[in-house]
Amino acid sequence: MNLIPGIGIVRGMSLTLRRFFQPKVTIRYPEVPSDVAVKFRGRLQLLYDENGSLKCETCFQCAQACPIECIDMGGMDTKGRFHVHWGAAETYGERREESALRRSGRPVPDPAYERFAPIDIAAVDSILEDFDHDPAQLLGILEATQAAFDYLPVGALKRISERTGTGYAQIYGTASFYGHLRLGALGAPAAAPSAAPYLAALAAATGAAGRQADA
Amino acid sequence: MTTHASMDDPRVTLDEQLGSFEPIPPYPPRTEREQEFYTVADGEMLVNIGPHHPSTHGVLRVVMKLDGERVVDIDPVLGYLHRGVEKLCENADFHHTISYMDPLEYVSSLFCEWPAVMAYEKLLDIKVPRRAEYIRVLTGELNRISSHLLAMGFHALDLGGITPILYSFIERDEMVEMLASITGQRMLFNYFRIGGVNGDLNHEFMSRLGDWMSRATAQVEANQGLLNENEVFVRRNRGVGTIDAQTALKMCWTGPNLRATGVPFDIRRAHPYSVYPELDFDIPTRSEGDSLARYLLRIDEIKQSLRIIDQCLHQMPDGPVMARVPRLMRPRPGRAFATVEAPRGQYSIYAVSDGTDQPFRFRIHDPSFLHLQSFTLLMPGQLLADWMTINASLDPIMGGIDK
Amino acid sequence: MTVMSRAWGRLTLPGKVIFTAIPLLLAVGVALALVVGILGGPIVELASQYGAVLRFLVAATIILVITIPTAFLIIFMEMKIIAFMNLRVGPDRVGPWGTLLSVVHGLKVLVKEDFTPSGADPLIFTLAPVVVYGSSVMTLVVLPFAPGLFAQDFNIGLLYFFAMGGLAVVGLLMAGWSSFNKYSLLGGLRSAAQMVSYEIPLTLSVAGLLLLAGTMSVNQLVANQSGWFTNWYVFQQPLGFVIFFIAVTAEANRTPFDLTEADSEIVAGFATEYSGMRFGFFFFAEYVNVFIVSAMTVALFFGGWNAPFPFPALAILLDPGSLGIWLLLGIAIVPLVGTLLLSLPFLLTRSSMPAWQAIVLGFVLFNVVVIGLLGVWAFVSFDWVAGLLWFLAKTYVFVFTFVWMRATLPRVRIDQLMGFAWKWLMPAALLNLFVTAGAILVVGR
Repeated sequence: MNLIPGIGIVRGMSLTLRRFFQPKVTIRYPEVPSDVAVKFRGRLQLLYDENGSLKCETCFQCAQACPIECIDMGGMDTKGRFHVHWGAAETYGERREESALRRSGRPVPDPAYERFAPIDIAAVDSILEDFDHDPAQLLGILEATQAAFDYLPVGALKRISERTGTGYAQIYGTASFYGHLRLGALGAPAAAPSAAPYLAALAAATGAAGRQADA
Repeated sequence: MTTHASMDDPRVTLDEQLGSFEPIPPYPPRTEREQEFYTVADGEMLVNIGPHHPSTHGVLRVVMKLDGERVVDIDPVLGYLHRGVEKLCENADFHHTISYMDPLEYVSSLFCEWPAVMAYEKLLDIKVPRRAEYIRVLTGELNRISSHLLAMGFHALDLGGITPILYSFIERDEMVEMLASITGQRMLFNYFRIGGVNGDLNHEFMSRLGDWMSRATAQVEANQGLLNENEVFVRRNRGVGTIDAQTALKMCWTGPNLRATGVPFDIRRAHPYSVYPELDFDIPTRSEGDSLARYLLRIDEIKQSLRIIDQCLHQMPDGPVMARVPRLMRPRPGRAFATVEAPRGQYSIYAVSDGTDQPFRFRIHDPSFLHLQSFTLLMPGQLLADWMTINASLDPIMGGIDK
Repeated sequence: MTVMSRAWGRLTLPGKVIFTAIPLLLAVGVALALVVGILGGPIVELASQYGAVLRFLVAATIILVITIPTAFLIIFMEMKIIAFMNLRVGPDRVGPWGTLLSVVHGLKVLVKEDFTPSGADPLIFTLAPVVVYGSSVMTLVVLPFAPGLFAQDFNIGLLYFFAMGGLAVVGLLMAGWSSFNKYSLLGGLRSAAQMVSYEIPLTLSVAGLLLLAGTMSVNQLVANQSGWFTNWYVFQQPLGFVIFFIAVTAEANRTPFDLTEADSEIVAGFATEYSGMRFGFFFFAEYVNVFIVSAMTVALFFGGWNAPFPFPALAILLDPGSLGIWLLLGIAIVPLVGTLLLSLPFLLTRSSMPAWQAIVLGFVLFNVVVIGLLGVWAFVSFDWVAGLLWFLAKTYVFVFTFVWMRATLPRVRIDQLMGFAWKWLMPAALLNLFVTAGAILVVGR
């Protein structure tokens, strides 16, 4: 070690004193955004493909898998028919507006919610009883439900999800995958809800950052 | 001699409990050792360190039997961070297990992924492209440096110095950002794949690495000037937690802690894997076997790792970074054992396949666990404050120990 | 009734406070006027009779009050200096450059729950912070801040200082014992061992100085060091200073001797179970202690309030009465002219700036200049202003040193701490004493 006792301490003290005057490395975060790597995987954002359309297919798998339920999804399904939502409410602008309306007691002017018109739950329950509430027989349950209702009402899907313990995303995914399953009534095709309010809300919620350059 | 009542004892009312002033022993004692440990003589007392203690490097609980400030006996209690990773892995397919590996030794995640993918490659008989091997070595050594820097910073923090940890973190953050630019995450990388790595080197990584390498050695040495010669620090460490080579080998020590006793055992040389045989580096050793030797050895290892990174950058061949692997992995029934030299020692994984797409048996060998069991050897006779020194110099990571 | 309550309800919170305060203040003022009018003569007589007592009471009150801002300042210094040495920025959100963060800390400990663990001894548990804080405040009494600016000049001032400093150990031991916590107990016992050990080299280190000075009054010791800085005792007692500084670091429980609250070993030592303002007392006492030991080091070894060189007597004789009418004119005109003059550069050079902004800026600058000039004038012509400034400047250099040490050094171990006190500091202090005594014998003072 050293011949003179205390020289190591003096050396350390001189180092800290020099550092006292050096420029600081702290990034003042909210004012100065930190330098995030291009490849960083931790971002939660919807990406756009090279044609400028949203890559997200609203399959809800991310929202369903999110262990801390921080992913909240709302949007139009891929066929432009239904306004669907998964996750905790009031995370995004569109949800906030809706829930505010609902709390105020006024009707929600969202065509998606008209789909939640009351249905005969007993029929669904009896079908589920027949299939022993077995999620492995989901396709059979859905087919029987369609036979009973002529199409698959959202309320029925929710009921199936609730009773079989299967995620709504999975049921919705199954129902929209098979060609012979219908999510809307045959005779009167659902008036496709206009995407404009949703897109406006999305733009308001995400601002200009909606389209990241590195998508 | 008095035995002490516990909260679990139905005969103990709350008032008695308040008066007893002792940590709760398991009741009734399950083993002879517990019976002996929780029998407190006059003048002795039991003190709980942890599981919520600032210097336990995770959630480790240590019950110490103290005579004044001198430790008579010590009982580490593990399992506060147990997540059943091995069992989880047996229910996930081979790709999924790699992401389960990351949070084990969370400061050196790549070294947990590495043996797993090596074991699967043995099972599936996949040859990894050489460029992928070089990238693995490069990122792995970066991760080793960041892990060692963290260990050294926390060593100082446990001894009461608040500055070295922040200097370490400045360097570590550089490396973590560097690794994030190639792997996509800052800590839990999930970067190695069966048959290669997920993504080639990119411009951002290389520019960050070059920027850092140009000043790494100078910066690390300048930061160590704060501690290496500091009399207070040296006197706190020298001769504390001394272990000789024979005992260390008997306790299955590996890694820097073993090399600090003078045994030049390094998996990278003893059982070469990846492209380490092609690289030129030394295995630093120290003969003292005390906390100071373990601390200083980590600095030497950082220098060697910088050498390896430099060589990797020079020798890296062109080519693919992923081998052609089947999408659905169903290895033939068999077993594979793979081991790497992690920053804390020998990290190994033993996987058994029964022909399905999931490992039939999956076992993780963590070096910190074996280092931790030596507390009962090292601590008796030392002071309470020496536990922080010894614990910090052994550098256990509870995520890996409790699995 | 409803009218009144409605009017009351419309008042804002400050309005309510002022509304209630005005009649109260009026009542108090009238009462005071009556008391002074009727009993004025006897009170003045009594005050002149017990002038020393009155002076001491006022001084003690002032000292008690100034400990709070002192602690706030040192806490802020510690946060900021350590951050800068760590290459961090430190507090920068609350107030300008984060200066109000320590005040917020103070408010925080005030509003937190005051918790007594079951099993603790409530009386001793409550008394311990008071003893600790009281002992550190009481040591301030003998500190001479400036010529004539001290609470009490004991002829055994130094002894009083050591005695009161040693009282803190009782408080820490009380806290450690009554907390019903083993970490607290260990911390309390550590503090007892540490303080008792370091009292001895601390006292012995100044013994040589006392031989040289021949007095124990701190005021007199400071007065002895007037003149050039070579008269400071640090140049006659370098070893004594080093021992004193080390021992005093241990007395104030500062790094590297902060074993009583070693956070990585025994959580928070004696303060583990404390919360709220009781913890606040410990917290403030620690930082007041830093100020006290720095001030004592300055007073004993670095000339106290003396300037490092004989300051030329430059008392500017300014008799306002002799100016006559010009004084009034000056008061009326100088601010106007000064403001306009100082705003002129902005008006001329920054065409983008509106005139009113330039004038406001000029007014602010004028105030700064005037306050600066007044400060210089006070510094030059009043002895105590200069003395106080020198004293505080030197003291805060040492406060900086303590913080600097905290940023750099790890903590020593308890056996090393005791070994250092008994094996190194004690012999060194004795050596210092003998050498000083011998030198005085030889040189004949």
